[in-house]
Amino acid sequence: MAGTYDDMMAVYEGREGAAVVFQPRIKHWHDVNLSAGTLPERYQGMYLDEIYRDLGVTPREVWGLGGPASEFAGYLALQAREGDDVEVWVKRTHGLFYETEPHDFLITEYRTPKGTIQQVQRLTEHGTSLYNAEYYLKDLRDIEVYKHILQERSYQWDRLRFEWGRKRFGGVIPLRVQLQRSPLLWLMVGTMGFQRTVTMLWRHPEEMAELLRLLEADHYKQIEACGGKAAVELSFGDNMHQDMCPPPYFKRYVIPFYRRAMPKIHGQGMYATSHWDGFVKQLLPLVGETGLDGLECVTPLPQGDVTPEEMRAGMDGMFLRDGIPAVMFCPWMSLEDLEGHVRRMLDLFPPRLILGVSDLLPANADIERIRLVSEIVREFNESR
Amino acid sequence: MSMKDRERLFGELRDAIVGFDVEAAKEAAQRALEVGVAAERVIDVMSEAMGVVGDRYEAGDYFVTELVIAGEVMKEVIEVLEPHLRGEAGGGLGTAVIATVEGDIHDIGKNVLVTLLTTAGFRVVDLGVDVPADRIVEAVRESRADILGLSALLTTNLEQFPLVVERLRREGLRDGVRVIVGGATVTEEFAREAGVDAYAKTALEGVEICRGWAKEFKA
Repeated sequence: MAGTYDDMMAVYEGREGAAVVFQPRIKHWHDVNLSAGTLPERYQGMYLDEIYRDLGVTPREVWGLGGPASEFAGYLALQAREGDDVEVWVKRTHGLFYETEPHDFLITEYRTPKGTIQQVQRLTEHGTSLYNAEYYLKDLRDIEVYKHILQERSYQWDRLRFEWGRKRFGGVIPLRVQLQRSPLLWLMVGTMGFQRTVTMLWRHPEEMAELLRLLEADHYKQIEACGGKAAVELSFGDNMHQDMCPPPYFKRYVIPFYRRAMPKIHGQGMYATSHWDGFVKQLLPLVGETGLDGLECVTPLPQGDVTPEEMRAGMDGMFLRDGIPAVMFCPWMSLEDLEGHVRRMLDLFPPRLILGVSDLLPANADIERIRLVSEIVREFNESR
Repeated sequence: MSMKDRERLFGELRDAIVGFDVEAAKEAAQRALEVGVAAERVIDVMSEAMGVVGDRYEAGDYFVTELVIAGEVMKEVIEVLEPHLRGEAGGGLGTAVIATVEGDIHDIGKNVLVTLLTTAGFRVVDLGVDVPADRIVEAVRESRADILGLSALLTTNLEQFPLVVERLRREGLRDGVRVIVGGATVTEEFAREAGVDAYAKTALEGVEICRGWAKEFKA
């Protein structure tokens, strides 16, 4: 794996001549199969990074996430510190009183002088992930509480986690820091939900504008906390999808945010990407206006709604991380289609490509297809 | 009120819904009631307005966000009409049970479909997300559904489609219900193999298919 670090830096910098790196996300596949007892025999007992090595691909997500995906847990490489008058209570339950079937839930409650807000998350079937069953922000009162939390919150670099990762992977992969979603998507996906966010923007534009302003200020705290450290890339986990954030919303809320944030990020010597894992055909012609350096996870047909050529045209001057639709790793998709797609990506995107799965390897995927892609990439690199 | 005045009032209601002017829409609906228009007729006019919203969505002038806001406007106007409705409003085209299958929590497409089906004139039983097959089958039985709409985004949950179909068959319900599926990772080929009746790429396409079935039900 020697040289991977430099090859990835070449992608950020747009330098020609480096080898293409294949860096798929396999943690989800690993965690679910481990939990379900269906991990192939070959990989049983291996650490995740050993599986990466066995497959001949570059590790990813090995620096570790911040635990359950709540506000409280903080973010990769960053720790959120809440204000002195903000209490965070977290409990795990088996079933809720209003549920007819018992399930495991994680309830996070913020208690502040302005009031209390609560989020309920449900653990997925194998307990490897969480999703929101109840969002923090349900009405204007909750927004007032949340504004207080945001105003009081600060961030600090997670030195211990970074040191652990640097010893283990520091020479192999540049450090990439996961930040919150950009403000609108933060609300839509994380704290308010899509429909409520749309409705609140329509009914209460002034209150929502103030909230969005505070979320943006929170981002600047996060960016500031990463500055001067070892972070090379800041990744906004936007989960962009044009049905959720259509072009008018993108122009009104997303582009202005990035245009203000990107100079701060570049000023600290870092690059930035956004996670686009939905349908994006209508948004790609606009992405250049954000000033972002790259996009993660743009998903081509047949899973997404764009061709690789459309991606290339829309992302002119930007780099792509990933690009192989996850569904192509499932056993019912043809190997010829997978091979053909990988070769097409290799034709179109280098030197601005870190190849990977868009979005991540499904739990029911055939892991050997990762090895197959790794082999294609190796041949490609050797042939240049 | 003359026919002409009545049509003008209906036009105001339509324009208010299409323009998301909730206060104007409620006022137009109230005025219609005051001059003796049946609440059911007002709902028909609202459905026409949602048809315009749908057309604009299809044309790319409106987006899902506008469908959500239009749905909010509709909800508020229906609150005005509710005391005047005789028995069950809408639902004339049949009953549809809609769910995101077990293990999957993605609901934007499903919610849009629910809004569109409701305003198109279907009675909709929305089971929500992460719904086990048994609960879906039970809802089909209880509601005597004509249509079952299933949604899934994750590849790992697509297997729920054939599972639900099999449960329906086992319970003797399969012949009485049309099954339609959707979701970004669903393909026509997968849907066919799962034994469902139709696959829709978008919520609007799904509504059109259901409308076509409703005509067959009546024939």
